[in-house]
Amino acid sequence: MTTVAIGSDDRTEMRQAIEAVLGPVLQHILLAGGASKEAWAVDAGDERLLVRRAAVGVIHRHTLSLRDEFAVLEAAYEAGVKVPLPRLYIADLDGREAFVMERLEGETIGRRIVRMDVPAQLPLQMAEELAKIHAIPHDRVPFLVEARLERMVDELDDVGEPHPAIELGLWWLRENRPPPRPPVVSHGDYRIGNVVVDETGLVGILDWEFAHVDDPVRDLGFGLVRAWRFGVDDKRLGGIADVEGYLDRYNERSGFDVRPEELDYWELAGNVGWAIGCLTQAQRHLRGQDRSVELAILGRLGAEVEYEICHLLEQVVA
Amino acid sequence: MSERPTAQELTEAIAEFLGGEILPMLTDHRLRFRTLVAMNALGIVYRELDALPPEDDTERRELAQRIRTGDVTPGTLAQVKADVEVRLRIASPRYLDRYESGRAE
Repeated sequence: MTTVAIGSDDRTEMRQAIEAVLGPVLQHILLAGGASKEAWAVDAGDERLLVRRAAVGVIHRHTLSLRDEFAVLEAAYEAGVKVPLPRLYIADLDGREAFVMERLEGETIGRRIVRMDVPAQLPLQMAEELAKIHAIPHDRVPFLVEARLERMVDELDDVGEPHPAIELGLWWLRENRPPPRPPVVSHGDYRIGNVVVDETGLVGILDWEFAHVDDPVRDLGFGLVRAWRFGVDDKRLGGIADVEGYLDRYNERSGFDVRPEELDYWELAGNVGWAIGCLTQAQRHLRGQDRSVELAILGRLGAEVEYEICHLLEQVVA
Repeated sequence: MSERPTAQELTEAIAEFLGGEILPMLTDHRLRFRTLVAMNALGIVYRELDALPPEDDTERRELAQRIRTGDVTPGTLAQVKADVEVRLRIASPRYLDRYESGRAE
């Protein structure tokens, strides 16, 4: 992540606010002054911490509050999932909610991970951790709601633009839905780009704000979406590996019997979801909630994902 | 108007970025001046685009509606893909190479 320079007044106020809860702070740096969340790297005492804090205003549909995200992180940690140690939730950190967790060492940038010499066990570790996540009892995190495929249609209608490729993807998904599996606690954004990796493999899983309850294969297939291969297209699992070992290990650990065709189905669903995601991100710019060139251009780059939808459909539509 | 952001909306986004995020960071006089000139140039593009007729997206809208109602024929996928390809040649032409090279292997 790049370090973003901020005004000295902000720094001082945040330092005082953080020190009020964590004690003396040696160093604090704003890592990402993102649209919906800020991330602060904070060194306090001998601890390397990360403070995740809400950004101004914008509340995103279908994302968890920081309070709920923190609770999911705690449940995952308890279940033995590799996640940063959750430290504390702060309802009011200089006017906004925040939580503090351990700051893991390693690489998170997808583009770099796919070009690293990643250990062969990384895809297997991703499968093992996902099986652990899917075994978290729903009543441990009862506030998580079930997501239905139909929600994608509502989101597309909210955008209000005609996108025949997305429509065709949605049509195929409606017509060919495999028998639904009992829903499980799901990460919601499980892919290269949201994991910390080092030379030993998987260090931790980040970004739990899209956690919900769903068919387990949706999480399993999401990491296959071409956009998350970061240019290494011939390695179907996130630009790092083929899917066979990943799928076998997941089935072994979860006790499920997910078939490759189910994975294909949810890979397409992941692409349809991300194509709509590109449009809704651009809408945040166009509607003035969050003006940014980065969000704006996604409205056009979504055509890449639509092309992939067509490419995948060519293989299944006679 | 079907492609969002439109070309005009993209020039607006770039102008806001230059004026709001880049310009305040610049201390070098020459760079400040050139950035202001670039913003003026963007303003010209914006106004020129203003004079163009809006894109007619009736066909795309009808196609999307037809698929929504389940009216999908054997030729629909090819038609849809050709439409995406036209948009992609503007938005991200190099992306198409990724599929070309995959085919050659």
